[in-house]
Amino acid sequence: MDSLINLLVAAVLAGTPLLFGTLGEILTEKSGNLNLGVEGIMFMGGVAGLAGAYYYERAAQDPSGLLALLIAIVCAFLCGAFGSLIYSVLTVTLRANQNVTGLALTIFGTGFANFFGEVMAGQSESGYAAVGDTVKAAFAGIHIPGLSDIPVAGRLLFSYNILVYLGVAAALALSWFLRRSRKGLSLRAVGESPQTADAAGINVTRYKYAATCVGGGICGIGGMYIVMVTCGGIWVHDCVGGKGWIAVALVIFAMWSPARALLGSLVFGALSIMRLYVPLGIPTQLYDTFPYVATVLVLVFVSLRRRRENQPPASLGVPYFREDR
Amino acid sequence: MSRRLLALLLAGLMVFALAGCQDQSGTQDGTGTPDTGNADQESAQQPSGETAGIAKEDLKVGFVHISDPSDKGYTYNQDLGTQEMVKALGLSEDQIINKFNVSEDESCETALRELVEAGCQLIFATSFGFEDYVLTVAAEYPDVQFCHATGTQAASSGLDNVHNYFAAIYEARYLAGIAAGLKTENNHLGYVGAHPFAEVISGFTAFYLGAKSVNPDVTMDVMYTGEWNDPTREAQVAQALIDRGCDVISQHCDSTAPATTAEQNGVWQVGYNADMIDAAPNASLISARIDWGIYVTYATECVLNGDPIPVDWCKGYADGAVYLSPLNTDIAAEGTQEAIDTAAQELVDGTRHVFEGPLTGVGEDFSGNEITLDIPEGEYYHESEEQSAPSFCYIIPGINIVE
Repeated sequence: MDSLINLLVAAVLAGTPLLFGTLGEILTEKSGNLNLGVEGIMFMGGVAGLAGAYYYERAAQDPSGLLALLIAIVCAFLCGAFGSLIYSVLTVTLRANQNVTGLALTIFGTGFANFFGEVMAGQSESGYAAVGDTVKAAFAGIHIPGLSDIPVAGRLLFSYNILVYLGVAAALALSWFLRRSRKGLSLRAVGESPQTADAAGINVTRYKYAATCVGGGICGIGGMYIVMVTCGGIWVHDCVGGKGWIAVALVIFAMWSPARALLGSLVFGALSIMRLYVPLGIPTQLYDTFPYVATVLVLVFVSLRRRRENQPPASLGVPYFREDR
Repeated sequence: MSRRLLALLLAGLMVFALAGCQDQSGTQDGTGTPDTGNADQESAQQPSGETAGIAKEDLKVGFVHISDPSDKGYTYNQDLGTQEMVKALGLSEDQIINKFNVSEDESCETALRELVEAGCQLIFATSFGFEDYVLTVAAEYPDVQFCHATGTQAASSGLDNVHNYFAAIYEARYLAGIAAGLKTENNHLGYVGAHPFAEVISGFTAFYLGAKSVNPDVTMDVMYTGEWNDPTREAQVAQALIDRGCDVISQHCDSTAPATTAEQNGVWQVGYNADMIDAAPNASLISARIDWGIYVTYATECVLNGDPIPVDWCKGYADGAVYLSPLNTDIAAEGTQEAIDTAAQELVDGTRHVFEGPLTGVGEDFSGNEITLDIPEGEYYHESEEQSAPSFCYIIPGINIVE
């Protein structure tokens, strides 16, 4: 029982950065932009979030953990949005190839983050860009007196860091936004058929920019999670290490639904740490293939059923030329 | 019609071009023969006695690294050694040519050839997977000395100009294990390993034996990440070990993630390759480190003086090739420093050995057959004495590999 709870808790923690990356990419793709730069954007958000918290902590006389947390979230969001802004300018305004731009952004973001991370580390006396105890505590698991002490449910529901709850809230909010709000429906129209949306008076360019930049910001928070929670608030070279690509795969696994992204990131998180808790005696490499095998199975299943709501946005990856109408 | 003519013309041009190529390679062969003759003469001289050596200002030293110093781990440590050598020998920076971020494939061969062409007389390759490429290139350039860290094939290759080196890190790990053995409260240690290789097994066994030397009841769980450097995986493995009840975590992997994970969970950690106290001041007790500068300086001096470089080189604590980062006295158990100092003195004197009998264990050879170890009282396993790379690959009682 204990090991099952440990497994589930570890799965949630492993799945959260994937959840942010997936939510951001779903929002982006709903506008018809296939942004393959998630990995790079997560890197940028990660280093910016750390920089925000790190420099705030050094500058403040009496640093507050909560404020450091907020600053980290805002910095990560802005830097992720900045990365996506580069992407939007290139693909929406200049109509460059989306795949190539996304790949370039991955390379750029990785270099950007490692460069600034190492500048920060190089300037500190210890050689590490590491935050102190106050900030570390803000990113640690919460403890609500009473609730967190309930035998099983307490650990399963009320023991995570604040970012986990933020991720769940973001998934629910995004799900509501895309299904129920007027702006969300307009955004989906842009992603399905920008010509039709344009004819209906929706500003396609503005929607694409906004969705891509906000989506990038959400991805950036995922990167910040890796730096601040997984790596414990310290810059580690190449820390994102491929999570952005898994997020891109998860978008397909979740079939562009934020609610299913919740389930998907939990499953991917669980599969990624399963071998540490459920030893089956099979080679490690096999375990590592599980998330991808699951993605392939979902793809096969979805293409067999061919339900319309499970399909990618129809104009995904295609630049919109108004003059082509 | 004109298109067909053009095609014919192009075909003709290609034939001539091919012929030209052949001509060129022919002349290369022609000039190549006396060259190799020359080299033969020189290599024939080498074993018989000291060659003239090289003037300090003419020396060029090349390095091939798998990463770059910004990794704050393995390559960072290697590069510290290079800087130490430059300082100790009074070389100038432009006599050192570094090839960073070279992967363990053909690009290593290219990097080695570029270093030879740039005029390096001495080349260090610092990653395990470079060995095959080092052997290939070294066979073609007998005048250039090649030193390969962590490798195993220099002696068996029959090449005079290939040398293996490593440091007896197991000694430092043994001493670091003492800090863990004294600190643990439930006698349950955890170890984040990278791969099930002899280098890793030798390391964690030494760590465990160090802990056991001061705390006979201690047991240890080992889990592998499957990567040398994957911070997320390292954090997850460390968390899994802590979930299994381990209260001191050590590691053979690059990042500080095990240290920060230990800190988040209120347990302790023993590091590798870098002083991690600043990363996790409430968890990191001490770190085992390698000083690569000792060998790099020594090998470079050999080339300068024209002395032969040993085929295998491995020095340990007594020579300063491995050492411990300062103990975190705020959290270490009382008497840790004294216990480490005593053990270190005995290692230096030779009155204590890390892999001392009675010691039994079970391992696997390269073809997957089971092999056993049985060292009687009074004897010890001669780790890294015949070849520089670690060879201890036995799992001893008390260590539990979680797979």
